[in-house]
Amino acid sequence: MITVFTHLKRWIPPVIFVLFLGGTTVFAFLGGIDEAATTSAKIFHHTALAVCFLCMWATLNSTGNVNSPVPTQVFWQITVAIIAAWILIFMVLQIPGGFSETHIPAVSIVHVKAALLTTLFAGLSFIVIQRCGHLVRFRRTRQSERIWHLLMLSIFLAFAAVTPLHHQFGREDSGALGILGLVALGIAVIFIFLNTVRLPWIFRLSFKQKLATVGLGAVVVALTASTLLILFRPGTAFSAIPNINQYLNFYSLPLTAVIVLSTTFGFVYALTSVLSLIFHLPTTGDYRRSVDEMAAIQALSVLVRDVADAAKLYHWIVSTPVDAGRGIAAWLMVPDLESGFLKLQIIAAYNIDASLADASCELKEIHQDAVRTRELVTIQDTVLDRRTEKGTSAGIRSLVAVPLTTSTEVLGTLFVSRDIAHAFEKDDIESIWIFASQATLVLENVRLLEAKIEQERLTSELNIARNVQQRLLPQTMPRFANLSIAASSIPAHEVGGDYYDLLELGEGKLAFIVADVSGKGTSAAFYMAEMQGIFQALARLAPEPNNFLYHANQALGESLEKNIFITAIYGIIDCHSGEISIARAGHTPAILADKDGTAKLLRSSGLGIGLNRSKLFVESLEVIQLTLNPGDMIVLYTDGVIESRNPEDTDFGYDRLMESINKFRHEPAQGVHDSVRETIDKFMGLEKRYDDDLTLLVIKWHGRAQHSGQLA
Amino acid sequence: MSNFSVAFRDAGTAIILVIRGELDAHTATELESAIKKCRDEGKIQIIVSGADLSYISSAGLGVFMAFIDEIRSLGGDIKICSLQPKIFDVFDLLGFSLIYHIVPTEEEAVSLFEQGIQPV
Repeated sequence: MITVFTHLKRWIPPVIFVLFLGGTTVFAFLGGIDEAATTSAKIFHHTALAVCFLCMWATLNSTGNVNSPVPTQVFWQITVAIIAAWILIFMVLQIPGGFSETHIPAVSIVHVKAALLTTLFAGLSFIVIQRCGHLVRFRRTRQSERIWHLLMLSIFLAFAAVTPLHHQFGREDSGALGILGLVALGIAVIFIFLNTVRLPWIFRLSFKQKLATVGLGAVVVALTASTLLILFRPGTAFSAIPNINQYLNFYSLPLTAVIVLSTTFGFVYALTSVLSLIFHLPTTGDYRRSVDEMAAIQALSVLVRDVADAAKLYHWIVSTPVDAGRGIAAWLMVPDLESGFLKLQIIAAYNIDASLADASCELKEIHQDAVRTRELVTIQDTVLDRRTEKGTSAGIRSLVAVPLTTSTEVLGTLFVSRDIAHAFEKDDIESIWIFASQATLVLENVRLLEAKIEQERLTSELNIARNVQQRLLPQTMPRFANLSIAASSIPAHEVGGDYYDLLELGEGKLAFIVADVSGKGTSAAFYMAEMQGIFQALARLAPEPNNFLYHANQALGESLEKNIFITAIYGIIDCHSGEISIARAGHTPAILADKDGTAKLLRSSGLGIGLNRSKLFVESLEVIQLTLNPGDMIVLYTDGVIESRNPEDTDFGYDRLMESINKFRHEPAQGVHDSVRETIDKFMGLEKRYDDDLTLLVIKWHGRAQHSGQLA
Repeated sequence: MSNFSVAFRDAGTAIILVIRGELDAHTATELESAIKKCRDEGKIQIIVSGADLSYISSAGLGVFMAFIDEIRSLGGDIKICSLQPKIFDVFDLLGFSLIYHIVPTEEEAVSLFEQGIQPV
């Protein structure tokens, strides 16, 4: 229903127009507006005419493209409309009949003739003003719309002001308009001129389009001028022109005023357009160039959204200033992130051989100047500058270098060159500067994005490494008669250098180790893995502590870097007898705690693994052998335990460790382990942060009795 | 941010590197470049004096190991002196006192150089 209605609505104005035109013409034909006609009849007639031609205006106004008018198209349509109207007017004039000496129709058919002629002129002038209006309202602003609507209003006011005077039919002299009419016309003319300065569409045209528009505009100027001449028919020189004016004036003086004003507007606007176009022809290139630049910048910011390819982005950065006509060659120099900021490389070049440019000029020096001052470096004549005196060989005669720097980072320098000296104008330089700041933003975004991706990749890889490393540690504690064992290891970072392990050697013997690779993180983790392999392989072959550590030192000594060492504490325990032998290779000493509350450090001598490959290692290695009493504990740990710090920067230390072991000495290994760990965590406070990997291994011998009890 | 520093002082034929603060993985490079500098200048009788050294990590200990073989092969040595007991303990636990001369005072370190006494 609604679509039917809107469809119908479009047809309402033309239908009313046709009906009213027919109606008023018949009314006049039948003598409704003769000299003898009543005032009310005249008012009726003019009201009907006003409605009629408003509908015509509306009908014509609904055609054409108001939002994005094409100037050539507009002038072409006006030309066609005027010529078509002229042909029709000529045909109407062939109808016989005219006016008497007293300016009244000699025959009734003159009424029809006048109606047709007025309609044709009105149509012509409406099309002229409406189509020009589309151009005036291109890129409209609030101000421009206001002036346009005031023009429309002033034309309507002229219509209204002239209406009461329309009682003397056929009067040709303008004095008939009266003061009010003249004032109204004057106001309309002012707004005509105010609107004709609105020519915003000109800048958008290319050179060719401008030429075409000039041509068509000139035709429109000629046609509108001729139309006005016909309307005014001044003097006897134009007596050859049929006196159309009297038909129009007779038919409706107010409408004639509107027709004249509209046509005048078309004439003035076309004339201004043509003159402006001619004036703007030489500057076309500049405008197009900046339009291209804006388009390029726009494209760049679109590009960054889906840029996965940095090379593509670099290419854009160097090609845009050149394509926009701001230089003939461009290249981008960036710090080589791999090898530090001092090394620079040309990462992209456009229209120039990068190595040639680099060889001919001291680009690094220019880059450093630009970056240091954060200012653009302009060399208008490269021959006169020490840094670029050989630039001519690479076609560099003038050069602009723009630093691409953020508040914190130097991203690089954009160089733009030309092959003639003094070729960079102020607007070129400004444009390059603006482009560079855009490019900086884009580059920085890409960098941040890349960093984020890299960070996520690293995180996921480190998580994998962490899982792998956790699997190198015992997944479950071996279950041994007479022994309870508990252990844990926390890396300070994703991966660490701490290691602990246990291995059943058969006959109730168990080998155990706690080791600590110097340093932290990834490199430590690799050596930790190596240590694990050595322990698992070697402990069976050479279970005795001195043997084991000797071989471990030999094996690891080969692969360890000079400044890396591993401290280890290794031992074997016989779960039946409680006999234990233990040796320390530079590691924090084991704690022996008995059930009576005595704890002591087993501080035997021994070098860290990797410190020395000669016999000194074996000679200095001391193996402690002792027999445990039921309830005795051996506690092994890494320096991360001792060096855990509280918020006041105090180390946890040996005393607190031994104290906490004693405190919980009656519990089985797991209880001691957990309590000690809890004590450490409490000591470190709420914001506990592990500076170092932290490992704790507790082995408690419960004595033979329990073992035989279990067997019984 | 680093609260670690190295100062150079000549003592006869030897050069004394006075280190203070915390020697950890981050600050280790400073001591590393200091020792490198001595080596490059041909000063291979190096005494590292650490009266105000408050902390040393395994990475800090690694710096001594990185250079000792080279310095000794050139006929020089790195001797360590004036350590606080807690710091000495760290060196000692690792077995450094078996490999390096670690003495209580700078004078003793200097006189060890003068007498030409090398560790094992």
